[in-house]
Amino acid sequence: MKSERAIPSGWSWKITLSSALILMAIALLAISFGPVAISFNSIIRTLLHLPHALQGQDRTLLLDIRLPRVLLAILVGAALSTSGAVYQSVFRNPLADPYLLGAAAGAGLGATLAFTALHGKAYGFLPLFAFAGGVLAVVTSFFISGKFFSDPGTLLLSGIAVGSFATAIQTYLQQRNSQALRPVYSWILGELTSASWSVIRWSALYITLSLTTLFLIARKLDGLMLSDEEAFSLGINPRKIRLIAVAAATLATATAVSASGLIGFVGIVVPHLVRGLTRRVTNRSLAAIACAGAAFLVLADLGARTLLSPAELPIGVITAFVGAPFFLFVLRGKRVGAA
Amino acid sequence: MISIQDLTVRLGAREVLSDISLEIQSGVWTCLVGPNGAGKTTLLKTLLGTLAYSGSLRDAGVEVFNDQTRNVAYVPQQPNIPIGMSVLEYVSLGRAKKDGWGRESNSSRKLVKKVLEETQLFGMQGRFVAQLSGGEMQRALIARALAQEPELILLDEPTSALDLHHQISVLNNIENLKERGVTIVSTMHDITLASMYAEQLVIMHHGRVTIFGAANEVIHSAELRSAFDDRIDVYTLDGGQAVIMASKEQKLSNERETPQKGV
Repeated sequence: MKSERAIPSGWSWKITLSSALILMAIALLAISFGPVAISFNSIIRTLLHLPHALQGQDRTLLLDIRLPRVLLAILVGAALSTSGAVYQSVFRNPLADPYLLGAAAGAGLGATLAFTALHGKAYGFLPLFAFAGGVLAVVTSFFISGKFFSDPGTLLLSGIAVGSFATAIQTYLQQRNSQALRPVYSWILGELTSASWSVIRWSALYITLSLTTLFLIARKLDGLMLSDEEAFSLGINPRKIRLIAVAAATLATATAVSASGLIGFVGIVVPHLVRGLTRRVTNRSLAAIACAGAAFLVLADLGARTLLSPAELPIGVITAFVGAPFFLFVLRGKRVGAA
Repeated sequence: MISIQDLTVRLGAREVLSDISLEIQSGVWTCLVGPNGAGKTTLLKTLLGTLAYSGSLRDAGVEVFNDQTRNVAYVPQQPNIPIGMSVLEYVSLGRAKKDGWGRESNSSRKLVKKVLEETQLFGMQGRFVAQLSGGEMQRALIARALAQEPELILLDEPTSALDLHHQISVLNNIENLKERGVTIVSTMHDITLASMYAEQLVIMHHGRVTIFGAANEVIHSAELRSAFDDRIDVYTLDGGQAVIMASKEQKLSNERETPQKGV
């Protein structure tokens, strides 16, 4: 253990820059890789409108299939990992997850309602229903807990209760409408096959807005790891910061869920991994966590579409396959308070 | 000077502090003493400005509720341990209000180093806060408060988790603040220690202040005994230092006569 180290200056541009470069490299790899390989050279030439760019089918494959899919993985991965890290700071709980406040169950119920109420014509409305369900569940948890401002822990408990309630209704609806079972199930496992430029546009808008807000308040999140009295004495308004943090993280999560279904474990695995590697407080490496989350999901999606090619694995299966053992590893290592 | 007039604080439907009127002098150590549930911690939080109240609580003439312009350090009894935060980062948080969050001036770095030395934490600054022992954590809390260079420091049971050796070392750290003109308000279970260090004692019972004044006067008062249901004995040593001990005999006879008192 080092007894001396430089006083951290909040952000480390080196960590952020290197994680952004790693993300770009992984994204390039993922775009190039697939049943039809596209060379790095062609990708860069096409994206930068240089001579000898791809034409015809290959161009369509790159611009309308691979690129949107990788971009969606980047957006969703960044949203889930950053929200997870922020929830862990706000709730002072290393195992907090972006779905804990009922966002997942609410979105699941919203998706089920879209399938059952709109019979098959639902796909276009699914993200909207899932988004509304997720946000509504979190807002309900928020009001039921009542004590969020004095005791954020009660919000986690009411989130779990609201989540169970939403899951119960969802199960009931699925029992009554067995034709909805299969599409809802496949949506719940998470998929990025829905990636299209229109999905990218609206999800990029909300996720960029949320993440920018979170990056702006990241430094003050240090204060939320203390008691409210200490935070107040150090000059921040813990209630206001907590409310902004939870609202922004929830918006990012709900957007990610409605764009891609429920992709588990990214929100827990990535913040812990980055914290272990950088030995920094979570919120001091939030940008690196966003990049790492994006890279993790791009890799997971690469696995999802190539491992059983031409069949496709749900991406949630890949993230949970890596995430669950890691989760146990973190639990065992928790005693050092560092990992 | 902090002047408190007819202060009443409600938490939900419960009245936790009732009609408190009190003056706390600047640059002096004032200690709040009383049994559990007397409202000591609530009074500390009200002094900090985080709890709404009726009546008046003015620090240098200004009502304290929600006033973050004052420079007040708060040391809680049971701190949250931030995951992944080093001792150095933790103590440096004391500078956040002055320098801005996530920024540190050169003078702050020097001050933090000095504070770490004063609290015997120098050499441990690279450790995670979560790895500190109870005594080290308490010193880290005091160090962060010192780094704040506060005008007023509020300490909730600063010695409750410590052995006697560490109690004295922490109390000496706090006492040094008086030389810098800092006003100190603390709660403390050990009344003997409180009377050794604090100039002023405030006796609290059932949310009310029953007596306040110079420590050596209050310690011999009937109100102090009454706050602890006459279950304490006060002895005076040859040097004049008062020693307060639980009165075992009294307790037994009291419990025989009025068993509901102990409930």
